[in-house]
Amino acid sequence: MTFVSLSRTKKTLLAGLVIGLILLAIYPMAATGYGIRFMLQLFMWVALAQSWNLISGLTGYVSFGHVAFFGTGAYAAAILIATHGWHWAPASSMGGIAAVVLALIIGYPCLRLKGPYFAIAMLGLNEVMRVLVSYFEGLTGGGLGLSLPTLYASVQIYYAAGLAAIAASVAAHLIITSRFGLRLMTIREDEVAAEAMGVNTARYKLYAFLISAFIPGVVGGLHARDQGYIEPISVFPLLTTITMIVMALFGGKGTVWGPVLGAVGLFCFQELVWARFLYLHQILFGAIIVFVVLLMPRGILGLVQQRYHLSRSL
Amino acid sequence: MKTAKQLGTANQWILLLCLSLVLFPWQPVFAQAPIKIGASLSLTGSYAALGQNQHRGYQLCTKHANEKGGVLGRKVEFVLYDDQSLPATGVRLYERLITQDKVDAIMGPYSSAITEAVANVNERYKMPMVAPMASTTAIFRKGRKFIFMVQSAAEVYLEGLIDMAAKRGLKSVAIINEDTLFPKATVQGTIDLAKKKGLQVVFVEGYPKGNTDFSAILTKVRAASPDVFGAATYFDDAVAITRQMKELNVNPKMYGVTVGGDLPKFYELLGKNAEFVYGATQWEPELPYPGAKEFTESYKKEFSGADLSYHSAGGYAGCQILVEAIKRARSLDGEKIRAEIAKLDTTTVYGGFKVDEGGFQISHKMVMFQWQNGKKVIVWPDELAGGKARFPTPQWSQR
Repeated sequence: MTFVSLSRTKKTLLAGLVIGLILLAIYPMAATGYGIRFMLQLFMWVALAQSWNLISGLTGYVSFGHVAFFGTGAYAAAILIATHGWHWAPASSMGGIAAVVLALIIGYPCLRLKGPYFAIAMLGLNEVMRVLVSYFEGLTGGGLGLSLPTLYASVQIYYAAGLAAIAASVAAHLIITSRFGLRLMTIREDEVAAEAMGVNTARYKLYAFLISAFIPGVVGGLHARDQGYIEPISVFPLLTTITMIVMALFGGKGTVWGPVLGAVGLFCFQELVWARFLYLHQILFGAIIVFVVLLMPRGILGLVQQRYHLSRSL
Repeated sequence: MKTAKQLGTANQWILLLCLSLVLFPWQPVFAQAPIKIGASLSLTGSYAALGQNQHRGYQLCTKHANEKGGVLGRKVEFVLYDDQSLPATGVRLYERLITQDKVDAIMGPYSSAITEAVANVNERYKMPMVAPMASTTAIFRKGRKFIFMVQSAAEVYLEGLIDMAAKRGLKSVAIINEDTLFPKATVQGTIDLAKKKGLQVVFVEGYPKGNTDFSAILTKVRAASPDVFGAATYFDDAVAITRQMKELNVNPKMYGVTVGGDLPKFYELLGKNAEFVYGATQWEPELPYPGAKEFTESYKKEFSGADLSYHSAGGYAGCQILVEAIKRARSLDGEKIRAEIAKLDTTTVYGGFKVDEGGFQISHKMVMFQWQNGKKVIVWPDELAGGKARFPTPQWSQR
């Protein structure tokens, strides 16, 4: 009896999901330029929050510099587009690969250590990347920034960003429901115990880290194309990392739908509020964050899961 | 009962009718809906203080335009958002202003970086944008047709310093800069200007944003012993460099900074050490431009105690240009307004306004001042100067 009703809810949810995706797919035909731009940035935030969730939500290793991958991807893609004439789609994929390479370089040594070293290294990584980008002027334009040729492709980028968000969420679902995901969560709960059970913690942490770096790299590339102009300060801001973290925490870290919920909720809330309260919106935003963290530290989804005893893979 | 109720309703309708009859004749001037001008500014985030100054300029411009009977017989109204000093947010908000709020015209955001990102949006919808706070040349060299610059370019910030030095027969110049978009452009421009005027550039070096210790770079400057020393700065670095020049006894005959040297706080922090320092500025309240005095007075009245800087005056002037262009075009059509702005050749409270075919400003002039007895005295160009430069700058030991 319970089994049947459960699968029925699941079916309803799945049907709702499919209808939602179809609606999103046809949305650009009816939308204004603003609607497309808003959804496109929302997709990017979903993908970014989800990518942070993959490493920090699952393994408990908090990344304070995830925007470094975003910025690296943005610069890699922008250089390929501006100086080598690449199309933005392959250029953004290369942005993802550049971010993975960076993640390998930083993750291989740092993830072997336990404790807070990783968090500190990531915080530093972002600053280092920003300075490096300013330094190699010949390639990156330094402080002058990189200007891309004008191109109106927001609808195409809308779909690309949507795909990135879906890919990130599907990856989260696959990982959380797999043995790999279980190993990661074991690391989060008790790393020593995980090792005692024979989990190669350093290796699995690194795998999770590489996957979680690829997504912001691609999103960074899309962002560069969408904006048409990037400079070191605009693609390596600490604020972006903080927003990713807050979104994932708000929705519920370590879950599949938490980051999606958090990104949608916070981004829409921000948009509604700052149109009305010019000078006050950041205080309101901060108050909401404090409220959520104090009253529901496991996020919206965590609270719902706890109350209704729902599956962890949600 | 029923009839009484109906009577009550009827009474209400009559009352409403009377009221509207009484009220209506009071607003015949703005019978039509207001003209909506959209903008997003950096009201929070890292550019907040300057963005807010610009905001007050826009507000005052609206007020003055409405007091003079509005534009095309309609009231002017701003639809304003906050972009948090982030280009991505700015792009989204301008897209919203144009496609969702359907504003009739737009004004530019704060800073070159955000303007550069937003310029693609208004270009796409063929909506002209007067961008008062963008001063990077590259924005206006990409073949865009709908963006217009109001202030002088970053490249000419130190033109006054170089020009004065050349006139006094000085020979060598050293330049240092913060390594970001705007100061870098200043350095490139200064090098070109110095070469044109026959000065030798003996030292150029950048330092990262947020740098506080300038001893290494200043030691190198001292070793190069230039006649003229220019620093392309923001505020904190301008203060630190001046202070450390004294400690390291760096003694050029002329020393000038770009941004930050014009703030009253510069003198408050440095006191006597700020004496003889030259500074570049887009605008000062005492400059004899038409309407500048009235602008300053009404600004102080309207926003008593609020900061008044070139950002406020630039915002005000940029908005005036748009209003003037709409009046001349007698229409809200983007193409027509664009054509009028491109044709304008005028002087605002902010100085000259005339653009080339790319929208690049060619009429506005930078001014150079020198701190003398705690006051900023404008010393360049000659036709706007309020006093004479104290030259040469004495050695630190002899002050």
